[in-house]
Amino acid sequence: MFSARLFQSLLWCFPAPFRHEYGAEMVRAFSQELRAADGRSAAAAVWLRSIFDVLTTAPQEHYHVIKQDVRYALRMLAAQPGFTAVAVLSLALGIGANVALFSLIDSVLLRTLPVRDPEQLVMLTDPDSRGHRNGSQTDERSLLTYQEFEQLRDQTGVFANLMAVQSFLERIQVRINGSEPEEIRGQLASAEYFTTLGVPALMGRSFGSADGAKAYVAVISHAFWQRRLAGRADAIGTRLALRRGTFTVIGIMPPEFFGETVGQHPDVWFPMDLQPVVLPGRDWLHDDPASLAKDIWLHAIGRLKPGVTMAQAHSATSTVFQRGLEAYYASAPTEQARRRFLNQQVRLRPAGAGASSVRRSFGQPLTILLAAAGLVLLIACANLGNLMLARATARTRETAVRLALGAGRGDLIRQMLTESMLIALAGGFAGVAAAWLMRAGLLALVSSTIHLPLNAEPSVLAFAFGLTMVAGLLLAVLPALRMMKVEASAGIKEQGRGMTGSAAWLRAGKVVVAGQVALSLPLLIGAGLLVRTFQNLQRVDLGFSRERLLLVNVDVETAGYEEPKRQALFERLHARVAAVPGVRKSTYSRHAPFMGGDAGDEVLVEGYTRKGDDDRGSAYDHIGPNYFSTYGIPVLMGREITDRDHASAPRVCVINEAFAKTFFAGRNPIGMHVTQIFGPQRNTFEVVGVVANSKKRSLREAGHRYFVPAAQPIDVPNSIVISVRTAGEPQAAVAGIRRAIAAEDPNLPVTEAKSMQELVDSRTQVDGLLAQLSIAFGVVALLLAAIGLYGVLSYGVARRTSEIGIRKALGASEGAVIGMILRETTWLMAGGVVAGVGLAYGSLRLIQSRLFGLEPADPVAIGLGVAALGVVALIAAWLPARRAARVDPMVAIRYE
Amino acid sequence: MTKEFPDPETLLPLPTATFHILVALADRDRHGYSIMQDITARTDGKVRLSAATLYSSIRRLLEQGLLEELRESPDPDCQDERRRYYGITGFGREVAMAEARRLTSMLSQARETGLIPKKM
Repeated sequence: MFSARLFQSLLWCFPAPFRHEYGAEMVRAFSQELRAADGRSAAAAVWLRSIFDVLTTAPQEHYHVIKQDVRYALRMLAAQPGFTAVAVLSLALGIGANVALFSLIDSVLLRTLPVRDPEQLVMLTDPDSRGHRNGSQTDERSLLTYQEFEQLRDQTGVFANLMAVQSFLERIQVRINGSEPEEIRGQLASAEYFTTLGVPALMGRSFGSADGAKAYVAVISHAFWQRRLAGRADAIGTRLALRRGTFTVIGIMPPEFFGETVGQHPDVWFPMDLQPVVLPGRDWLHDDPASLAKDIWLHAIGRLKPGVTMAQAHSATSTVFQRGLEAYYASAPTEQARRRFLNQQVRLRPAGAGASSVRRSFGQPLTILLAAAGLVLLIACANLGNLMLARATARTRETAVRLALGAGRGDLIRQMLTESMLIALAGGFAGVAAAWLMRAGLLALVSSTIHLPLNAEPSVLAFAFGLTMVAGLLLAVLPALRMMKVEASAGIKEQGRGMTGSAAWLRAGKVVVAGQVALSLPLLIGAGLLVRTFQNLQRVDLGFSRERLLLVNVDVETAGYEEPKRQALFERLHARVAAVPGVRKSTYSRHAPFMGGDAGDEVLVEGYTRKGDDDRGSAYDHIGPNYFSTYGIPVLMGREITDRDHASAPRVCVINEAFAKTFFAGRNPIGMHVTQIFGPQRNTFEVVGVVANSKKRSLREAGHRYFVPAAQPIDVPNSIVISVRTAGEPQAAVAGIRRAIAAEDPNLPVTEAKSMQELVDSRTQVDGLLAQLSIAFGVVALLLAAIGLYGVLSYGVARRTSEIGIRKALGASEGAVIGMILRETTWLMAGGVVAGVGLAYGSLRLIQSRLFGLEPADPVAIGLGVAALGVVALIAAWLPARRAARVDPMVAIRYE
Repeated sequence: MTKEFPDPETLLPLPTATFHILVALADRDRHGYSIMQDITARTDGKVRLSAATLYSSIRRLLEQGLLEELRESPDPDCQDERRRYYGITGFGREVAMAEARRLTSMLSQARETGLIPKKM
């Protein structure tokens, strides 16, 4: 008896149908066999054989059942090609959008570098930082100087390898094997760069310590080799002539290698030692203790020695770094200044994912979009689930018959699940293909300069598979619940009017539709918020007109101009540009709005006592004559900077309104003095004017700022931006201006020439994309909800044809019937809207930091979202309501 | 309703267990345990079918139309209603015969080559 029970429990290995059919027989046969066994060992043999057999036959039986279910499901799906196509297509789009966004998030935020053992890498700098800063930094160091890197490399003793690399790419004009000059993206890397990352060259070799200090060698990327050198085998030995020297290509990196920064793709790596050749005009490799200003521009990445923990490494690195700072800042003018300079720390962090030029700008928008796409998929699944439920309801009779004939409820649910899984799998496959296209499209929309390698990453495929499975389960939930409730006898009884099943479907369908409304509302409101943010950003008052304003950046340091000669050059260049036909007004400055760079230092303001750390410093710029009149920035008090503020004239400055408000609240600033302080450096200027605020770096805010004449510099600029008001289209003037600059000196590189509109647009590109895509997702969600509503109401009206007919026969007008249906819709909608607004309120705080000029609870966005939903719902309800109103009482009653 | 059966040759070679079951049912209808006993007896205990293999094979043979389940016991003395009895169908017999021919032909080929003595 016990043996029989034990064997019976073994039979749970078999699928239910098989177990139900043959279980009892098998137990009987097994018991008889056991009884017939002679002795204990024979009984043990029977047991062993039986267990082994169960374990080998059970999988075959499962396979058989799945095969049968799949065959049945395929037949069912083929019988309704319209439904199947709609279901597969909508899932493909939903899954595709999610997978495309996830794949981008994976590339931007999650993926590790394609280098040797990336999890062993540690980074001493901030992965999201890039650029060059001359001066100092307080608190955590974002980047390092070359000498700091050398000290850390040589003195810490915790790194097996430590490398430094330029944190940004340099666009350089190069003659390849003597051809015409062309632009490449170059990056300086220390000798340890390739050994630290542990990636050998595909062809030739990479450079390293063995190459000596002055080896004019270069390593090129696979993409550059393919694009520019046609993948020729003799590319090794190619000569790259640039700026101050000619380099020989000694190696080509493998195709997957893009360096240490996600989103960048350098063409050529040059040895760091040759910085004066590649970036001439300034020594970026040595900190000058006389100035106390450091060139901070490098990322540093290392591999820890075996056995060294992160904490040990951090402690050793901090000690060496602090020692270096103390030695360097020993000559600080005051103890207070010295303490501030010493308040700089390096922080170590895992560097498996590398540095990133795109993580900060795209991480959050992509996550927002993925959340939106996830909601859309959920709404689409709800719609399809509703359709599946309707089908299951239509099949109630069949279900009941099968139950009555002895089929298990579990079997029926499994078949339903197989069907929905098949739909989901087809949708998933098509979705992955769609994702590939969508990803390429998204990247093209965002930027042409961001390059993210596309591989069939296991994480992305796993995400796609997971999403497909979830979608499959979601589709099956409603019909499966329905099947749980079907009585074996109910469906058979259900004929004509006794539509209990249909009534149940209608109830569930209504709940689903209300849920869809609730889910689509956050999408609509969110889209409204993002669109209005984008509009606000586009319309933001810059403080000057952006019309017909062209900015041209000229790098004079690279061209080899020594500091004393630069001011005269600026004036000559300005004069030449001013004479170009089509130029109405012009000026120049060290930095310009939205061109990237900026400067700022500690300030001492006459008659002002510091209140805290926020009013310690101010941004400043060097400007040429007539800067404000060229830009059209109103002068509120005093005068602007003109020709008469030359080098030997009294030193003057113009402050903006924000500066006046912070430092001269309630006082007349004209004639007062502002002193810039950096280390021992002090420059005092007399305020001669106050100008209106204008935007400089960010569309979202304008800080305080003062402007000094370029002829009376704090630091002599190494490049200038010539700003031009043109008579016609700005880009039409570019060629003439380039010619004018080349006429002064053909070696002067024009590194950028863009209209203000282009610069502003590039700042709003991500917001624009976010607005467009969120609108797209919102509209899709709205349509899906409308289709769901239409389906449920149509069905409801069809069910009530006779009731409506009787009402009309009893004298109800068409209007009354329409009103009745619309009232039902209103209740349905009201429930969804209340839940939706609640959902929106909870979720939209997440995008608060992206909003500009409005709050998450923006009444316009909420109103528009609810109104859009209302209008679409009304249309979706109107069609079935009108059909109901036109019911002919006679036909309806005859139908009875 | 007539069911169309495939060419018996397409089902060959039969799995050993299947062939034994068909042979056990060739002369009389049996219930499951009786099939197991018959096979053990005929093979001197060399082949022992367990319940799992037996019923998995029966399920497949029923689907393929080689067996049928009988409505009542073939043995008038044993009318245990819980027992289920199986018999071979005409098509099952054809398939079993085709398999027997195949095995015979293999055996004679082995004889031809002297792998086994011509007279045993």
